[in-house]
This record gives sequence, C-alpha cells and structure tokens, in this order.
Amino acid sequence: MTARTVSRQALTHLALALGGVVMLLPFAIMLWTAFVPERLIFGGAGLGDLTFENFRLAVREWDWVRAYRTSVVVAAITFVSQLLTCLPAGYVLARHRFRGRNVALWVMFGCLIVPSLVIAIPTYVMISRVGQLDTIAALVWPSLTSAFGIFLFRQFILTLPQSIFDAARLDRVGEFGMVWRVVLPNVRPAITAFGIFSVVSSWNDLFWASVVLQSPANATVPFAITQFADQEAGVRYGAQMAAATLAVAPLIIAFLVAQRQFVRGISLNVAD
Amino acid sequence: MPSRTRFRLPAVALLVPGYVLLFLSVVAPVLVVLVLALFDYDPLLGTADFVALDNFGRVLSSEEFRRALVNTAVYMLLTVPVTLAAAMLVALGIHSVSWGGTFWRNVYFLPVASTMAAMAVAWRWLFYADTGVIDATVGRLLGLEDWLHSTTLALPAVAVVGTWENVGFAVVMFLAGLAGVPPHLVEAARLDGAGAWSRFWHVTWPALGPAVVFTLIITTRNALKVFDQVRVMTEGGPVSSSTTLSYLLWERGIRFLDVGGGSVVTLALLVLILALTAIQLATVGARWERAGTR
Repeated sequence: MTARTVSRQALTHLALALGGVVMLLPFAIMLWTAFVPERLIFGGAGLGDLTFENFRLAVREWDWVRAYRTSVVVAAITFVSQLLTCLPAGYVLARHRFRGRNVALWVMFGCLIVPSLVIAIPTYVMISRVGQLDTIAALVWPSLTSAFGIFLFRQFILTLPQSIFDAARLDRVGEFGMVWRVVLPNVRPAITAFGIFSVVSSWNDLFWASVVLQSPANATVPFAITQFADQEAGVRYGAQMAAATLAVAPLIIAFLVAQRQFVRGISLNVAD
Repeated sequence: MPSRTRFRLPAVALLVPGYVLLFLSVVAPVLVVLVLALFDYDPLLGTADFVALDNFGRVLSSEEFRRALVNTAVYMLLTVPVTLAAAMLVALGIHSVSWGGTFWRNVYFLPVASTMAAMAVAWRWLFYADTGVIDATVGRLLGLEDWLHSTTLALPAVAVVGTWENVGFAVVMFLAGLAGVPPHLVEAARLDGAGAWSRFWHVTWPALGPAVVFTLIITTRNALKVFDQVRVMTEGGPVSSSTTLSYLLWERGIRFLDVGGGSVVTLALLVLILALTAIQLATVGARWERAGTR
C-alpha cells in the first residue's frame, strides 16, 4: 500500500468515526444518566458516583417483569402464527398452478402495500365491539399472518431445485409432509431472517399497542416505557434513562450476539 | 419453474389459514374504513348515523388537517434527502476501507435494531432545555434552544431522530448495492484516467440505481408512518406544530374517539402513500431503468 492510500484510509476511518459518535451519542448519554445519582444528572458526576439507584427506582415504580413477559408472549404468538400460516401458503403459491393463483398473488401484493396504520381505526372498532380491547388477543390480532411473510417464503421456495420436490413426490409424500419434511428443512435461512424481522417488529411496536391498550395491565415494553416517561415527565430523568436502558437492552444484546443475521433480518423491513 | 401439478384439495387447504387471516385483518378493515368515513360512529354507545360526506367536509377543510399535511410534507423533506445523502456517504466510506467495514456498519445500524419508543425517551433528555446535550452544544453555537417547546423547532427535532433511526437501514441497502458494482468497471475507469467523482458518477451511481429507488420508496413510507418519536417527544405539540398525518390519525380516531374523522385522515394518508410510491416508481424508477442501459 502506498503512503497515499494509507492516509486516505485513515481519513475515511476518521470521517466514519465522527458520524459514528453522533449515532452512538444517545446510547452513551442514556447509559451514563441511568447510572448517575439524580442530584448529579445535570453535571459534576464522576466514575465514583455511579449507582444502581435509578434502576431500583424504575423497577419499584413499574412492573417491568410483567411488561417483558407480555412482550415475549406477543412476539412468540405472532412469530409462530406467521410461520404456520405463511410457510404453507408460500409453498403453494410457489409450487402449484391452480385457478385463482394470480388473484391470490395480487391480494398478497395489495396487502403488502397497505401500511399497518390504515387498518388501525376499523380494527379498533371491531375489537372494541367484541369487547377485547386491552387484551393479548387484541395485541396479536393484526399480525397473526403476514403478506410479507407469504411473499418472502414464496420467493425463497421458487429458488429451490425442482428435483427435491419430484423426489419427495415419488416417495408419495403428501402436501402437508411436503411443507414440513421438504420445505421446512430447506428454507432455514429464510426462517431465521423472517423470524428476526418478525420478533423485532413486534417487540418494537408502539403504534398498535397505543391503539388497543388502555391500562398498564397488558402493557408491552414500548407502551410501558412511553407511559412511564409520561408519568415521570420533567422529573427523575435518571429513572427514565434506567427504564429506557432496560427496554432497549434485549434487542441490543441480541444484535451484538448475532449481527449478521440481524442486519439481514431487519433489512427485510419492506413490509408493515 | 413451478410444476404442472393438478390442483388437489390438500394444496388449497394450505392456503386457507393465511388468506382467511389476510382477508379479516387487512382486506376487510380497508373496506370498513371506507364505510366508517361515511358514518358518525360512537364507539362508546355503539350508535352509527349515516352522514354521507360530512366527515370529509369537516376534516379536510379543518385547520388541523391542513397543518398536519404541511407538517408531514416538511417532515418528509427534512428526513428523506438527508437520510439518503448521509447514508450514501457512509456506505461509500465503509465500502472503501480495507478493514473494519463490518464494525462501522454495525455502529450505524445500531439505532435500527433498538426500540424506538425507548430511544425517543433518551432523545427527549438530549433535547432537554438549557442543560441537555443539544442545547449545550448546537444550541450555544447556533442560538437554537429548547427545541421541544418551540413551535418552529419541535418538528425538526423529531426529524433529527427519524433521520438518526433510518440512516443505518439505508446504509445497509446501499452497501448491498455497492457489492454488486462490477469492480472491473471501476478499475477500467480508473485506468482510463477517470477521477474519483467521475468514477462515482458514471460507474457506481448508475449501478446503484435499483438500491436507491428502493431505499427512497421505503424511507418515504417510513416518513409518512412516523409515530413513536412524535408520541414520546412532543405529543404532536406545542400547539400541533409537530402533528403529522400519521399522528393525527391516532389522535383523532383513537385518543378522541372521532372514528369518522380518523377514518377520513386514514384515507388521506393511504392515498398519499400510494400516490407517492407510484410517482417515485414512474419517475425515478423509470429513469433508472433507462440509465441502466446507458
């Protein structure tokens, strides 16, 4: 490498680092404030002052265990239901010709284009009519299946070699067996990517929770942090930052552990 | 190629659960919202009076709606170009370094992976009047202070956060595009004596076309759907100065239980999203298809 290339590389790293500081600053300040005693949050705190006091306060004032549990349950139901409905549908659309297939594809594309905001008010009306507001059922209802999931699995199954389906058919594998014994083992990468996309979407969702939730009883993590911050508005920023840290921690840790899969999964972010 | 299998009962059975749910959770609500816009529906009493186009007249002529429309346009203009330009610079930088590229990609991607509602709480603290980081730095330098309580700066504050959140997604998209640029073309241009700018403009940029069009469409949609940071940082205020259409939809329809009015806002937003996507595909998208052959 010439000296010129080296210095150009160094300059690029420097420029990326400057931008990187802006990207990481909110995380750094959130973490710092979360560990600084309330009386020192406006300045003057040193490393020796750091404390868990804010976390104790945040945990005392809000049932975070319950919020985590609700979020985990919602994410799990959503993902399992999406997998069970999208994988078979994607398989049939990719590997079968039948009357109405084009209609089915157009319905899928249509649903893909409609943003989730659009269904909010009619779905709210429907859920309130059946008296299910403020429940887990209401939280998961609009995401029990996913047009995007059907699309993704169909695209992926289209790339599989026809021979594996022919071989299975010779072995008299039925349609259900085809999905579970032939498709499923061959689409693992797509399931991982879609799984991360699905779990991250439901874990992060504040909008839908704000539509159907009315009380803290079934608060998901984003809904809980929003209510908590409202209730602490203008005061106790340390406790707010501690709560925010607790809220972002699971996904950040998961991201650091499985970066490549995460980037692939979240970059699927076309739907919704 | 899909096989020419005869249509058998088990196959359609596999399609049923997904499509029944799609009809119930997406197709039906879209049709219902058209009906709800024509009624004065009270969700508490369960009563509905047909009011024809009254909701449209009431909402579309209101100052509140006009303001939300302008705010949505401003938010879009503040976030989309900056996101794309910044992400392009970052992606080119990451693509050009011989080591450490993955590390930088992860740094810029971190906001995409984090829960926006929680990070908006952190950002609210950064924008805290006077002693917050923004006021203590940018505020001192430019004289722009207390963003969240200012009718002119609240929307830009929310836009800063929206940009911060979306840059990483665009970077990843552009990196994927850059990986597809044939290196021999860049090398050939270099041997022909093309400068850095010329190589970018004549070789890299046309090859990035599809990635840019796609990212433009997604970033625009994200801007039109913005909710979390508005809800957490400003609640649409002060005096509706940061209320976008997406936030107005929720505030009207859910918080104030004005189902008819909220439905009209929903339809306006739907039309806007579909129209913008179509326009972007027809203009930028079509131009790039031609440019691909130049």
